[in-house]
Amino acid sequence: MDAKPPAHDPLTRRQFLGNGARLLAMTGLGAAAGALASRASGAGWVWQIDPAKCLHCGNCATQCVLEQSAVKCVHAYAVCGYCQLCTGFFWPEPNQLTTAAENQVCPTAAIRRRYVEDPYYQYSIDETLCIGCAKCVEGCTRFGNGSLFLQVRHDRCLHCNECAIARTCPGEAFRRVPAGQPYLLKTTSR
Amino acid sequence: MKPEFELFDRREFLGVVTRAAALFGLAGGAKAVAGGQGTANPFAYDISRFQKTDPKLITYEETSRWPIPHKEARRLAMGPDGQLYVCAGNYINGLSRTGQGGLELALAGPAWCVAVAPDGAIFAGLRDHIEVYDSKGGRVARWESPDPKTWFSGLAAGRQDVFAADARKLVVLRYDRSGRIIGRIGRKDAERNVPGLIAPSPFLDVMIHRDGLLRVNNPGRHRVEAYTFDGDLEGAWGKAAASIEGFCGCCNPIGLAALGDGRIVTCEKGIPRVKIYSAEGEFESVVAGSESFPENAHVCNDLNDCVNGGLDAAADGAGRIYILDIVAGNVRVMKRKD
Amino acid sequence: MPRRLKLTGALGMLLLAALMICAEQRFPPPDFESGYHLPAPSTPAPRQEWLQYADTGVLLAGLGAAAWLIYAKRSRRGLFWLSVFSLAYFGFYRKGCICPIGAPQNIAYALFNPGYAVPVTTLVFCFAPIVAALLAGRAFCGGVCPHGALQDLVLIKPVTVPLWLEEALGTIPWLFLGAGLICAGTGAGFLICRYDPLVPIFRLSGGTFILTAGAVFLLAGMFVGRPYCRFLCPYGGLLRLASLASKWRVRVTPDTCTQCRLCEQSCPFGAMREPAPPAAQAKWLGTQRRRLGWLLALLPVLMAVGAWSGSKLSPAAAQLDPAVALAERYTLQQSHPVQYGVMTPESLSLQRAAMDAKAVLTAAADARHRFELACWLFGGWAGLVIGLKLIAVSVRPARSDYEPDRGACMACGRCFMACPNERVRLGLMPAAEDPAPS
Repeated sequence: MDAKPPAHDPLTRRQFLGNGARLLAMTGLGAAAGALASRASGAGWVWQIDPAKCLHCGNCATQCVLEQSAVKCVHAYAVCGYCQLCTGFFWPEPNQLTTAAENQVCPTAAIRRRYVEDPYYQYSIDETLCIGCAKCVEGCTRFGNGSLFLQVRHDRCLHCNECAIARTCPGEAFRRVPAGQPYLLKTTSR
Repeated sequence: MKPEFELFDRREFLGVVTRAAALFGLAGGAKAVAGGQGTANPFAYDISRFQKTDPKLITYEETSRWPIPHKEARRLAMGPDGQLYVCAGNYINGLSRTGQGGLELALAGPAWCVAVAPDGAIFAGLRDHIEVYDSKGGRVARWESPDPKTWFSGLAAGRQDVFAADARKLVVLRYDRSGRIIGRIGRKDAERNVPGLIAPSPFLDVMIHRDGLLRVNNPGRHRVEAYTFDGDLEGAWGKAAASIEGFCGCCNPIGLAALGDGRIVTCEKGIPRVKIYSAEGEFESVVAGSESFPENAHVCNDLNDCVNGGLDAAADGAGRIYILDIVAGNVRVMKRKD
Repeated sequence: MPRRLKLTGALGMLLLAALMICAEQRFPPPDFESGYHLPAPSTPAPRQEWLQYADTGVLLAGLGAAAWLIYAKRSRRGLFWLSVFSLAYFGFYRKGCICPIGAPQNIAYALFNPGYAVPVTTLVFCFAPIVAALLAGRAFCGGVCPHGALQDLVLIKPVTVPLWLEEALGTIPWLFLGAGLICAGTGAGFLICRYDPLVPIFRLSGGTFILTAGAVFLLAGMFVGRPYCRFLCPYGGLLRLASLASKWRVRVTPDTCTQCRLCEQSCPFGAMREPAPPAAQAKWLGTQRRRLGWLLALLPVLMAVGAWSGSKLSPAAAQLDPAVALAERYTLQQSHPVQYGVMTPESLSLQRAAMDAKAVLTAAADARHRFELACWLFGGWAGLVIGLKLIAVSVRPARSDYEPDRGACMACGRCFMACPNERVRLGLMPAAEDPAPS
């Protein structure tokens, strides 16, 4: 049996009005879509932090809609000084230059310190532990070369329409970047 | 339509809705109050206790402050005539004690360091070579560095020697006045008991002290080292500490100057401060503490290459100390308090 | 494709060259003697672009499938499983973003900010369900929307919401839509995204407030059918409007309505309407016409009053804009300094504001100005919504059959099985015998 009403009904005024409204709506939507699509640039825009504007405030760790923030610390090894007393790793007055928790800046011990050769040490970030709180970034940027910085990690980020962190960023460091170039990496020391 | 079954009647439904809304509001309000970060940041990098200087330690006061003519300041040097020479941008400016302009040298590249010999010859250190000018500003010579990976960040000029500190190759080159390299100082050498210089950023400085020895800062080891002109390490002093007697952070001191009586002025970045040590390295007093340099704080929106802040200092014969503030782009004149 | 490859290659070379030039300026890392090589920072790529187009494909396919299931197959079971699939795909896999509910904000933002380009996928997400509604009613709500699917799953014992309450709460989606589009248009933010109670459930994480709200909606949804859809969803308002002019309409009966009234309570969303033959209305026609006249006259008054009230709201509403909030905090700090902790985001934003106070205050003044106009518009819009709602409840279209209200019907298909004619069509019941001649 057919779902449509029987065909021999004449066109009522309501149906006529409905048809007219539908036509108008379709035309309007088509025009709007066309106008906006002419400006459109493809599907890919993602959120990213501009390290030059980041103020290392800690919001990235708390404001992300995800439990473990999609923002993590990233290390630009080419900018690093490989210092034995790394201020991104150690508190300003550590008891000893060891990996004991009381000496470390990172609240989750996400920085790995590895001896390379005298007197250089390599510092690398364990992303499964990093919460994106920017304590190490602050220490590194204030005292050192600024090789540690925060970036949105796109394998974790949900790419929300309105980034909850972007909204509260005191440095207005978040901006949309093309998905083809989704990182704003540091190449100079700051 | 009269439904047969009704869970609530209108009054009960309204009651339920009101109570739910009230609970909602309460929960929301509680969260708003508790969750506010206005009073404390659990991820604060709190070094405020190191940024307070004990006023009893400060023995100098500022008498004047004036801006420098160009942006991107780097180094400051004192000339034999009492003129100050400032490296900023691609220029070296000779300025009077009150900031009045005099000589200006326009260089082909960024001016990283400068030194003036007792006879007035000006040595301008660009990143990979040194240009020699006479006291009127006429170019005399160009001295190359033996290594293409050079990064000169400090110069000192004596009567017969010019010392150029290379922060990249971690060595102080000794040139004679004709531009020939006659010595290398500070390189790691186990036989001569020289542990080597460590400079993670271009802030290696060299200075000729009145006792006839060079003073070179070793930022990575947080100390000041004394070398003979031939490169023998005669002594070193300094320790790593955020407190006032030590050198804070990962790589300090970044600048050196000497007072007429042999005491040494050191500059630090991170917790920007200028201090005075005795010639043997005992902490004496503070010229300007961290409170004097608010622009050197971490709120910096400028992705420039001057490596996040810093200071340099020079002293004149009358005991005045001139502090170049790299971020703020000015020079302060400090006089000893009575 | 080869040309694009060449272009990418050339750009890559340029970038490398640029980086190398930049590298000249950078103070290099130490010279390692032990043969240590610097690791490169890892750069995990975002979701591939073609997958986003695949999402739009799934959306369009879902809409088509929903329409087919509603009109051709008339299958509640089919719609149920389609909605479960949509919940899994658009809800838990895509985490509810991007969704058509929020997409109108992007359109509004793009209309007032020439620098922002709406991605094509967002355009499709915004317009496709509306186009589908113009053809097939609220097929999106019935089979494709994950919010609706989630609420449908928790519905246990639907309760009838009194008509007056339903109509009153029914203004909220329109007001929310207005507020959301205005906030998006002025650039203050995306309110609809921020206050969506069900998306945090898809993400399985969120703040206390919004998770509680989600839980409340689901709890309410156990007894009140689809509370978010009926009383909060701003896109639902647009779909409701589009469905009024839809080409096909959901019919309870496959052929003629026998007025048996068995479908009266079959709609958990209060969308079922009883017949109102013209004869029954004749008695009240005069009163109704007068009332309609008064309401039509009242409409512009309501709009004017609304606009005026809206303009009064403007200073408070402007706080939604982050530039205004910062400027207000800054001026407050100047007059009544508050002690913030070390390095709290508030203290940092104030420090930064102090560095460039003039720009901050100018930006705030611009934003306030935009909000003034926006609040006028919102107030007028609110007045319009209330006025039209009053008119809508006063007008009763003539109906001859039991059928769902076109705007309110969620196209879920629950009413089909209530109709004996449907059961006959499916072969579950024998056809009625001809009535005995009287």
